[in-house]
Amino acid sequence: MFQADTALEDIAVKVESVSKLFTQWQRNEENSGKKDHSEKKNAFGKKGIGNLFRQEKKTVTALDNVSFQIRQGEFVAYAGPNGAGKSTTMKLLSGILQPTEGTISVLGMSPEKDRIALMKKLGVLFGNRTELWWDHPVMQSFEWKKVVWDIPDAVYKRNLDMVTELLDIGEIRNTFARELSLGQRMRADLAMMLLHSPELILLDEPTLGLDVVAKRQMIDFLKRINREEGVTILVTSHDMDDLEEMARRILMISKGKLAFDGSFDGLRDITGNLTHFIVTTDGRELQLEGCRLLSENRGVFEFEVDLSSLPVKVLLGRLSKADGVMDVEIRKAPIEQVIAQIYQTWAEPTSE
Amino acid sequence: MDKRKRKLFYGIKRYFQLLKIYARMDLASLTRDGKFMAIVIIADIVSNISSISGIFLLAWKFGGIGGMDRFEVLFMLAYGNMVMGFLNMMGGCNALFPSRIIGRGQWEHMFIMPVPYAVQLTVGIFPFTGSSSFLSGIGMLWVAVCHMETVMPWWWPGMLILQLMISMIIVIAFSYLFSSLAFYAPVQCEEISGAVVYSMGRTMTFPLSGMPVYIRYPLLTIFPAGLMAWFPTMILLGKTATFESIYPAIFALMISLTATYYFRKGFRYYVKKGINRYVSGGHRS
Repeated sequence: MFQADTALEDIAVKVESVSKLFTQWQRNEENSGKKDHSEKKNAFGKKGIGNLFRQEKKTVTALDNVSFQIRQGEFVAYAGPNGAGKSTTMKLLSGILQPTEGTISVLGMSPEKDRIALMKKLGVLFGNRTELWWDHPVMQSFEWKKVVWDIPDAVYKRNLDMVTELLDIGEIRNTFARELSLGQRMRADLAMMLLHSPELILLDEPTLGLDVVAKRQMIDFLKRINREEGVTILVTSHDMDDLEEMARRILMISKGKLAFDGSFDGLRDITGNLTHFIVTTDGRELQLEGCRLLSENRGVFEFEVDLSSLPVKVLLGRLSKADGVMDVEIRKAPIEQVIAQIYQTWAEPTSE
Repeated sequence: MDKRKRKLFYGIKRYFQLLKIYARMDLASLTRDGKFMAIVIIADIVSNISSISGIFLLAWKFGGIGGMDRFEVLFMLAYGNMVMGFLNMMGGCNALFPSRIIGRGQWEHMFIMPVPYAVQLTVGIFPFTGSSSFLSGIGMLWVAVCHMETVMPWWWPGMLILQLMISMIIVIAFSYLFSSLAFYAPVQCEEISGAVVYSMGRTMTFPLSGMPVYIRYPLLTIFPAGLMAWFPTMILLGKTATFESIYPAIFALMISLTATYYFRKGFRYYVKKGINRYVSGGHRS
């Protein structure tokens, strides 16, 4: 694990024992309208009209005693399945929410108390929303940002030239935001976020919905600004392939708890190199030694393999010898499975 | 120049820079398409005329309403147009409708801007697409004043500006007071400020002179539409006692303090207890 024995001024993000609880009201909809002739019910279901007014209060623990630190210049992946607490963490770090317990320091400042000073040094991008002005050309949003963030002319010009070149947005700068494709919009949003030279960037699912080319462009750009400009980046995703492509360190969160903090190699030491691959045949049956068959549907076979025990070279050798193979697609195991594997590894010594 | 003065001047300069960029964006959006510009201007003219024509034609037909002559009625309608027109013109960032900001999750954009919330809410000016009501109000006021027999003292323009400001504070405070509910139920209360402001705007055009007290008093207290046009008109035309003249200012002070208390309380709840999918009726995102 990456533990902090670094100097305080070297720390970009410090999260200490942070918990975030939400209160949720839930109504039990069971028996409230489904037709089941085996039981006598009134028009409002078995529990009657009273059920419509009865709600149960439930506390959701989005984050449970989470602690971690990120050093300046690091590129960190923040991974977890849907609902794990990734976006909540991002909102806490950017001051949109406040923790129920614990303390947060971002670039040496409190997101709650030093909001204005912090926002001058922080870049935030949520993949599911845009900061661009919808009814204006992209360039107008950039001009707006320059004034609102009070960006000096020289810095603005330098950054504008840089993002225009690196993100290839020259052609879309005068296009109205509402007319951009998703990939173009994400590039424009990313460009706008960088205009004030942020020291730390928080990206929540930036590759969501992007096609392969747009994703590639975005990943290359992020790696470059991290390497060349020394910008600290924390990026969330539930796609392991994207994260491994971008970051060197991974924080893995599950059900509000930090399940893993370390390198991707370290993660593989625990979980193995779980990989899924899909083989399409001309209809012939397929069996591969050392691989687990997950599903089969009309000549499309999905297998699971641990590449740390069965090297990819050997696997491809076996596939090339198999009859009727028409297509092969390899991808990382879904994040839910990696986390399940982590928990399984933790549980094993206890059960012995 | 000492540090405090420099900071103050910098703050004022920044404020005008922000007003300028929003004004420029408004002009750009109006002029991007000739057809769009023509439609906006025509729609504004029709809307402004129709908003006052019913009451004014009644006043014209009957030589006045409830002790107010026809030009006093026009003065009142003009005053109301100026109040609502100015607020609409400054409402580019939904400043007049904070429940929309909360319900639509727009506050999340505001959190990440390095500008105080109060500044963010007040710099969103629409001087080109949102000023028609204010400008038509000024025109109508001029016509009314020219035809009225009342002699205006030298301090009258100052009193007019003061009363306009008080009326605007009351509308804004009412909107913020009700919008506080949106922090607890963002989706359900998204349009609550619109409902409050628009219903006050519709009710304000009725002259309350001669109305029974059980109608007049609630409209000056519980639902203060009477303070948006009619009562200030009475003050400006010298038809109220001195002690009555300070009532709108006292009411504005009390309602704005109440609104500030509840809005801040709601805001603290919003950031502490959570938003969006974890709250039933969490905001649209």
